[in-house]
Amino acid sequence: MAKIMILNGSPRAPKSNSKRYAALFAKYCSIACTYFEISKSNHAALRSEMEKYSDVLFVFPLYADALPVGFLNFLKFLENNPPTRKPVVSILINCGFFEYNQNEIAVRMMRLFCRQNHYALGSVLMLGSGEAILDSPFQFLAAAKIKQLAASIVSRSYRVFHVTMPLTRKLFQLASTYYWVQYGKKFGVTKKQMQTMEIESAGEVRSDLGH
Amino acid sequence: MKLILSDRPIHVALPDDENIRYFNLSALKISNCVGCFGCWTKTPGRCVIRDDATKVYPVIAQSDEVLYVSHVKYGGYDSVMKTMLERAIPIQQAFIRIFKGETHHVQRAVALKQATIVAYGELTEEEKDIFTRLIARNAYNMSFASYNVLFVEESKIDETVEKIVRTWQKS
Ligand SMILES: Cc1cc2nc3c(=O)[nH]c(=O)nc-3n(C[C@H](O)[C@H](O)[C@H](O)COP(=O)(O)O)c2cc1C
Repeated sequence: MAKIMILNGSPRAPKSNSKRYAALFAKYCSIACTYFEISKSNHAALRSEMEKYSDVLFVFPLYADALPVGFLNFLKFLENNPPTRKPVVSILINCGFFEYNQNEIAVRMMRLFCRQNHYALGSVLMLGSGEAILDSPFQFLAAAKIKQLAASIVSRSYRVFHVTMPLTRKLFQLASTYYWVQYGKKFGVTKKQMQTMEIESAGEVRSDLGH
Repeated sequence: MKLILSDRPIHVALPDDENIRYFNLSALKISNCVGCFGCWTKTPGRCVIRDDATKVYPVIAQSDEVLYVSHVKYGGYDSVMKTMLERAIPIQQAFIRIFKGETHHVQRAVALKQATIVAYGELTEEEKDIFTRLIARNAYNMSFASYNVLFVEESKIDETVEKIVRTWQKS
């Protein structure tokens, strides 16, 4: 029977956007989904659990143009400790920047992982403006794509989807400035303070550190 | 400032020059970024995790030549280098600018860099292609004015680093 395992690869999984995207996916998916968060200490347990599922959906953010390192470490664990039964792997990736296609390198890395490790690749959804879209008037656009992603996995007619805010870059820039100013306010930090050009000093850096 | 950041020890006699810094990341204690955005919104320019990464990212910011040595996995940096690069976001602001037609972050006081990336591992052509494109994307986010990606065998790393450092001394 088809069953989907949703695996959240965000470093801040319990408080992540990925968690909210995963919840939308489970809500719209017509077959049973079970949600898990990848942590440093649960790789083996997740690998064993994975054997019970026909499909896995990895939900994770873009980090420095690639996969977050904790998630990369989980993939390396799977490579060294493969499950006896391999599910079809689908992907829901989100990035903070406006352009959904900034996720493409990370998706290529995932394709390569799947090929090298003999997992079939299912559907892919690349989300741009993923840090803020769920709290914007464009939440419904992200939700609609997630619904399509779920339907494609259920019907096994795999596809690549993408979505971002329907704004010009200039407007996105304004909207994101507002978003971050509000974020700083929660900590009593002003826009001006957030705009500091200063980076903490390296302190006692010695050129031989690490020799 | 010139910086060598490596995920393995480099056995090269480095010139006695305080402007050349070297970090062997495999000998440092650096934990994963937790994505809290504290370095943008709470203590701007400063990471809340007070481990060895806080000694490295200020030097990344100040350097106009960087030499990164990393093993490659699935076409990206392997874990040691990737962990450090993720911890370097305090050198950027939360705010967005439009750069080369795309949205990217405003940089704080970060020097423009000439970057050389020495990549090693048993790599297919596809992995090399993904990695080269990754560096092209990094260039926008990490202030690389120009970059050069060198794929070398692990046994050739030291001599490659030595050659590059020699060109720094001439300049
Ligand atoms: C260390 C770090 C690196 C990031 N790198 C990128 C990046 O290269 N490109 C991008 O568009 N967003 C980047 N982001 C933003 C995240 O992808 C974005 O905030 C996302 O919504 C986080 O999802 P999550 O809450 O599920 O973890 C980065 C965030 C962090 C903390």
